[in-house]
Amino acid sequence: MTRDGTVSIAIPTGVLTTGALGLLTKSGLTRMSAEELGRRLLVDQSNVRVILVRPADVPAYVDHGAADLGIVGKDILWESPGAHYELVDLRFGDCRLVLAVPSASKLNGPETWPPMLRIATKYPRTTSAWFEARGQAVEVVRLHGSVELAPQVGLVDGIVDLTATGRTLRENRLRIAAELGASTARLIANQASLKTRTAAVQSVVSRLREASGLDR
Amino acid sequence: MTPQLGGVPGFRDLLPLEAEILREAQESLLAEMRRWGYRHVITPLVENMDVLDLGLGVEQRRRLFKFADGRGDMVALVGERTVPVARLVAGKLRSAALPLRLCYAGPVLSTDEGRFQQRRETYQVGAELVGASGPVADAEVIALAARCMEATGIRRYQIDVGHAEFFHGIMDAVRLPDEVKAGVRAALAARDFVTLESLLEGTPLKSAEHELLLRFPALRGGREILDAAGGLVRNRRSEAALAELAQVRDLLVSHGIGDVVNLDLGAIRDFDYYTGVIFEGYGPDFGRPVAQGGRYDALLARFGRPAPATGFMIQLDLVSEMLTRASRPPALKPVDAALAWTAPGLNTALRLGSTLRLFGMRAVVDTESRTQTEAKQWWRAVGAANLVYCRTDAEVSWSSPGRRSRNLPPEQVAARLAGGGA
Repeated sequence: MTRDGTVSIAIPTGVLTTGALGLLTKSGLTRMSAEELGRRLLVDQSNVRVILVRPADVPAYVDHGAADLGIVGKDILWESPGAHYELVDLRFGDCRLVLAVPSASKLNGPETWPPMLRIATKYPRTTSAWFEARGQAVEVVRLHGSVELAPQVGLVDGIVDLTATGRTLRENRLRIAAELGASTARLIANQASLKTRTAAVQSVVSRLREASGLDR
Repeated sequence: MTPQLGGVPGFRDLLPLEAEILREAQESLLAEMRRWGYRHVITPLVENMDVLDLGLGVEQRRRLFKFADGRGDMVALVGERTVPVARLVAGKLRSAALPLRLCYAGPVLSTDEGRFQQRRETYQVGAELVGASGPVADAEVIALAARCMEATGIRRYQIDVGHAEFFHGIMDAVRLPDEVKAGVRAALAARDFVTLESLLEGTPLKSAEHELLLRFPALRGGREILDAAGGLVRNRRSEAALAELAQVRDLLVSHGIGDVVNLDLGAIRDFDYYTGVIFEGYGPDFGRPVAQGGRYDALLARFGRPAPATGFMIQLDLVSEMLTRASRPPALKPVDAALAWTAPGLNTALRLGSTLRLFGMRAVVDTESRTQTEAKQWWRAVGAANLVYCRTDAEVSWSSPGRRSRNLPPEQVAARLAGGGA
C-alpha cells in the first residue's frame, strides 16, 4: 500500500487496459501509454501509482491493500467476490456472460435441459451458482483457454463464456442459448483505504466517476 | 507413505519467533483488559451445536467444523468466542451481578479458508461488557479497544465508530417496495454500490434517505458529519442514533482518544446481530480491520438472561503480522548462556545453570561432554550470548563475542553474568 497522498490503482492487462488508461487520462489524474505501462508494470506519476496486473489478480491486489483502487471487469468479480467495495460502473468493456451450445444442439431454454448438463467454462463459480439457482444439476469442467473447442470435440454439452460481439462463438459454430449476466468495467476499492485515507481516495473516485460520465 | 510434514492445509505452525510475538501480543492485550477490570475466562474449544445455533447466523454456522461426540450430541469447534461467553453469563455466572466485565483469548476455527490467507485457524482476543447499556458503556469498550491496540505496540491506528440503528432507521423510512429493500440490504452487505445505485435509480420516489444510501461509503468524518447527516434524516431511529454517537464521541474525547476516532455512518456490518454503536480499529497501511466490535443487546435474551451487552475482539494474527512488518520488527531474545562441560565439570554446569535461571536469565546446559573446540561450534548452533565451558569444579572458561576467553571460578562468572557485567 502506498502512503499518504499517493493513491494506487491496479488496472488489468488485456481488453480493458486501453479503456482504463483512457479513463485515467480523461479524469486528468495521469497520462501514460499502454506501451510504457506494459514495459514497466508499475508507474508513479503525480500522486497516482498505476499497477498493471492480470485481470483475475486485480481483486487480490485490492483486497490485500496492495492497491487502493482497482479497475476490473464485473465478470472477474462474479468469480472472486471479496472484501472490497464495488463503487462505480465505469461503463466500458461491455460484454455478456452467455451459455453457448453447438448450432445443431437441441438445447435451448431450461425446458430443454437434460437431467445433467456438462458445461465447460473459465467461470466455474458463476456457472454453478446460476444453474443451481435454476434447479439444474450441472457438471462444470474448468478450462483455462479455448473454451469454444470443448463442445466441438464432445467434451461438454455447452460452454459458459464471455462474449462481446459473438464473433468467436459464430466462428466455432456455437449459438447463444441463454445470458447469465452483463459485464462492464467496475471501480473497486480497498475497505481500509476508504477509511484510513478517505480524502485522497475519495477524490480519485469522484474524478473517475465524473470521467465515466456519471454526474454524481 | 511420507507423512504430511506441512500439517493440515489451512492450519499453521508458529515457529519460535512468530510464536513469541503472538504470545507477547496476547499477554499485552489481556494485561490491558485486566487493567480495566475485565476478568479472564477460558471457554472450551468445543461447544454444543444447540448453543451455537442460538447465537450464530446461517453463514457462520455453515463454516463450523461439526462432529458428533461419543454421546451422539452434535458439537462444533468454536468459530468465534462471544457466544460461548454469553452461554457462560446466562449459565454458570447467572448469579453474578451485572454488569460483568469478561475477557478471553484463544483460537477460533473455520472450515472455509480465509479471504486473505489460507487460514482456517486464527487467534482472537476479546472483551465483553455484559449488563450495561448506554453511551458510557459503549465508550468504555471503544476506549479499551484503542488502548489495547496501543498496548501491543501498534503506532498510528484509528477507530471508526458507527451505529447500526442509523442504518435501520434509514431502511424503515426509505420508501421502497419490500423486494427492492431486500435487494438494497443484499447489495450493501456485498458492498456493491453499483447494484445499489441501479436499484435506487429504478424507483420513482426519491427521499433524503435515498441520497444517504447512495453516499454510504462517504459518510465519514469528524463531529461535523453528524450535523450533515442530521440535516438529511427524517426518522426517529436514525436521529436517536446520531444523538447517541455525539455523546459517545464526547466521551471518547474525555477518554483521551478523541484524535484517533472517526465517525463512520456508512459502516457496513452484520446488522442482524448488532443493535447499537459499532466500531472497527485499523492499523497503519493494513488492508483490513484489526479490531471489530459493537453493541449486541439481543443475544443474551436468547440464552434466557436478557441483558444489554457490548464488546469487541482483536485479530491476534493480524496484530503480530503488523508488528513483524513494522520498521523495527521484534527480535527473538537470545539465550543468555550456553553451558558446555566435560565429565568433571558437569556438576558445576548444572549448578551454574540453576543460579543463572534464578536471576531470570536463559541458560542451556549441554547434553553431552565436548572438547572446547566442539563446544564453540555447539555455542554457535544454540545462538547464545555467552559460552561457559565447565572443565572442573574450581574453574570454568567464559567466552563472549569479541572478547578473549577468561578462566574464572564459577561463582564469579555467575555474579558477572547476572550483574550484567558481561
